[in-house]
This record gives sequence, structure tokens and C-alpha cells, in this order.
Amino acid sequence: MRRRVAIVGYAQSHHQHNMQKTREDMVFEVCKGALRHAGISREDLDTVITASTDFLDGRTISSVFVGMAAGAFLKDESKVEEDGTFALYYALMRVLAGTHDIALVEAHTQGSTMNAHQVSCFTLDPQFDRQIGVLNDIAAAALQARMYMNSHGVTDEHLAMVAVKNLSNAAANPWAHRKMAKVSVEEVLGSKVLCDPVRELMMSPVSDGACAVIIASEEKAREITSKPVWIEGVGSCQEAYIRDRDLGRLESLKTAARTAYKMAGIKEPAADLDVVELSEKFAHEELMAYESLGLCREGEGKRLIEKGTTGKEGKIPVNPSGGALGADPVCATGLVRVIEAAKQIRGEAEGCQVPKVRRALAHGQFGMCAQKNMVFVLGGNGS
Amino acid sequence: MEGKSEIVEVKTFPFPAGFNWAVGPMMERFIRTLAGRKVLGARCPGCGYTYVPPRSRCGQCQAAIAEKDVVELSGKGTLISYTNAHVAPDGNGNLKDLEKPIVVGAVKLEDADSVLFMPVEGVKPQDLKIGLAVKVRWREETKGAVADICCFEPVG
Repeated sequence: MRRRVAIVGYAQSHHQHNMQKTREDMVFEVCKGALRHAGISREDLDTVITASTDFLDGRTISSVFVGMAAGAFLKDESKVEEDGTFALYYALMRVLAGTHDIALVEAHTQGSTMNAHQVSCFTLDPQFDRQIGVLNDIAAAALQARMYMNSHGVTDEHLAMVAVKNLSNAAANPWAHRKMAKVSVEEVLGSKVLCDPVRELMMSPVSDGACAVIIASEEKAREITSKPVWIEGVGSCQEAYIRDRDLGRLESLKTAARTAYKMAGIKEPAADLDVVELSEKFAHEELMAYESLGLCREGEGKRLIEKGTTGKEGKIPVNPSGGALGADPVCATGLVRVIEAAKQIRGEAEGCQVPKVRRALAHGQFGMCAQKNMVFVLGGNGS
Repeated sequence: MEGKSEIVEVKTFPFPAGFNWAVGPMMERFIRTLAGRKVLGARCPGCGYTYVPPRSRCGQCQAAIAEKDVVELSGKGTLISYTNAHVAPDGNGNLKDLEKPIVVGAVKLEDADSVLFMPVEGVKPQDLKIGLAVKVRWREETKGAVADICCFEPVG
């Protein structure tokens, strides 16, 4: 990259089912928290980028009151739809362009305002799929899961093992929503069947939550902190509409990862990355992501979960924070992954900390069956 | 003020949402042709990818697709995935339990590349499997509407 950019501060909310707090208060708290964490003030910010979805916020031009809560009063400000990682990408480009030095990125959703599964139906083609009326994100995920499982001999137990890993990891994460320290494969398989093979504990919970990240140019970053987390690589890619893609694979995630790896100089992801934070909205997506991210060969995702390779003590820990199964404040979920990855690099991951993290990957997604994917590679230790 | 305040929840319905979309000539022909119990697709002149319902531009190669590229399909296909759906969004932002699970199938039509997501009926649970040959079941009275396609059912 032409200019080096680092993450210098962050904060997230205690994600939960119904926060009983206004959206503006929730946003205000995480933005103030990120400024406090970075040790800078609102006056230091050059630009503010927020992320949410009007449908989920229940209003159009939904950033009207968010900007003020995020500290954007009389400042350069913009908003992107969907995941917070897309907002981080936008902010990164502004800093890379040299027009801004310090940017605050904020993302939020209150699932208690409008259930995201309902909103998923409104993303479908109104001329045909909505007229037929049987598809929603849960049914689509179930179709994807069965297709993937059928191709590679993956069983319901493999999906349950992913849920057990992430939900028990979430128990050590003070910010997570669904914490289940002692959950078992049997309990996951015995949880309510939504659309088979997808059960309740294999799907992310509907959460209220927000988070904020502050990034800065190299010069400013070194002034602000002795522990900058460098953005070493980034990649973004999207699939065709759900009717016209191969649902059994996450091809766009593969392309996004390749782009980010090339920029970061990563040749062997499984060896070069020390920790991975994924936005897996459903358990099977995590296994598919192992393959798309090149942590294993195609069809070998199940082996990583069988052998514990991606467990907290494993060779390449995935979602030590609990991932999206641990909390899913929709538009904030990807940016929370960035924060969790940065925390690992700075040694601030509390109960979720894994040893010796120099390089971490954070993933964000949006759309049915992970239609759009974003990959960030972060690095520390002055790399 | 002492203690936690009661949260007053506000519900709003901005407007009864009715949207009018122009479907375009290709989709109009697709919908009208359903009255004659025929399924139309559109084959891209650039790369050969066949869309159902038809589209006027190709997402794969970005070529324009014209009415001459419309092809008639057999209405038969293969089940490439399925799920027994026990829940569905209730329209008010919650999930509801369905009285009886419905089978949602991903169907790849003969001579087409797009996948249709449709209800599948008339299959015994033990016969439900990937690779099952299926065909369109039409409504008794077709009138040129998407609803003319009732569901997919096993061939024969």
C-alpha cells in the first residue's frame, strides 16, 4: 500500500438480545469508548464513516442522528450500507488517498428493532422469488449447507462441533451475547430444528450491538499509540444473485482472501496467520470458509474441526471470541471481528487471548448465503 | 430519579408498503407464457448461460440478451438441494412455527443454468434426495401469473 494505515483504537458494546437502550446512546457509547481507548478526542477526527442498513434501522437516511452520536458534527461524514467492514474499507481508502489522516468507523444494528430474518426476504427478486414466497435466509442457508455437506461427506455432527467450539469460546468473551461454556454436540443437535439441517444453535442469535474503530495514517498512528495494528491487506468480492451462483462454495470469499493475501504477502495462510475471526452466520459457513481462505484443501474443512486445529488451543484458532454464533449485531458483526483480531495482536483479548499473535485475519459478509465478502489481514509488532 | 426507568416502546408503520415494479418485456413474456403451461428461459448470446426467469443482460459476461434469445424449457429438472422448513418469518419481524413443515427445493431446470427455489410436494420423506427428477406442477387454472407454477413434484 502507498501509505501505511493502522488501527489505533476501538470499542464495542455488550451485545445482547434487547439492549433497552436507544440506538443513539448505543452508538455514542462505543464511539466515545474508541476515542478513549485511542487517547484522542473528537477534534482529532478528520472523517467519520458509519454503517447500517435502513431496513434494519426502520428509517431511511438512517444516519441522520447517528452522525452526531458518532462525533461527526461539522465534519466530513459518510455512511455505507450493510457490514461495518465495508465502512472500514471506505475509511481506509480516504486515509490512503491522503485527504484525511484519522478516521472513525462505526457500525451498529439493533436486531430488536426489526428481525434480520424478516429483512432477508426483502433482498430477494420481487418479480419472482418473493412472489413464490418460500425463500428466506434460513431456508437458503439450509439449502447451501445440504449442498456443501453432500459434496464433501460433512455430517450434522460436524456442524454441531463448530457451534460447540464457538459458543463455548463466547463464554470467555465479556462482550458476547450467547455464551454456553458447557454446550455439547448432543445439545446443539437437540436444539430446535429451523430448516433442516440447520438448528437453532447452529445459527447466529439476533443481537443488539455496536462497535467503533479508529484508524490513522502511519505518522499519526505512531503519535497515538505504541501498539499500532497495521492493515496489511484487504480484499472484497461479491457473488451473483442467489439463483445464478454455485451455492455449494464461497467463491467470492476465496477471491477476496486471495486479493488480501497478495497485498499482505501471505503465501501459506495456515502457517502465516496466527488467528482468524469469521462472520459465520451459520455453522456450515465456517467449514466452507476454512476452504475458501485456504486454511485447508477443498472438502477438508471437516478435518480441521474434527482434529481441533481451529480450537482455541489449536494450530490456527478460528473465532476464539465466539464469532458470529456468539453475537450477531448484523451490520456491526464484521467490524467486531476486526476489533477481536486487533485485540489478539495487541494482547488485549482477555479470556479469548491466544498466544503469540502477530498476524490475524478478520472477515465480514453480507447478503444471503454470504453473497458479499470482505477480508482484512492485520499485523502487529511494527511489522 | 431512582432505579431503572421503564422503557417505553414505540411501534410505527410508516405506510402500507405497496410497490409497483415494471417487469420489462422479457419477464412480461415469461409471465404471460405461463398461462400456456410453458417455462421460458433466456440464453446469453455471449456465453451461453441460460437464465430462468429470463434476463435482458448477462451477469456472467455482461452481454445484452434480446427477445430472440428466449428459449422454451421442458419444465423438468433435478433437485440439487432441499430442506424441510419448520419456521418462516411471520411478516411482523418474528419467526413463526409452520403448522406443517414445507419442503423448499433448489431445482436446476433441464437446459438452464439458473436454480429455482420452489416448494416441492408429493414426495415421500424417504424418497427426498439430491438428484431427484422433478417437474412443474401447474395450477388447475393457469392465467399468466407467477402463481401458475404451483410447485415442483417428482417426475412420473
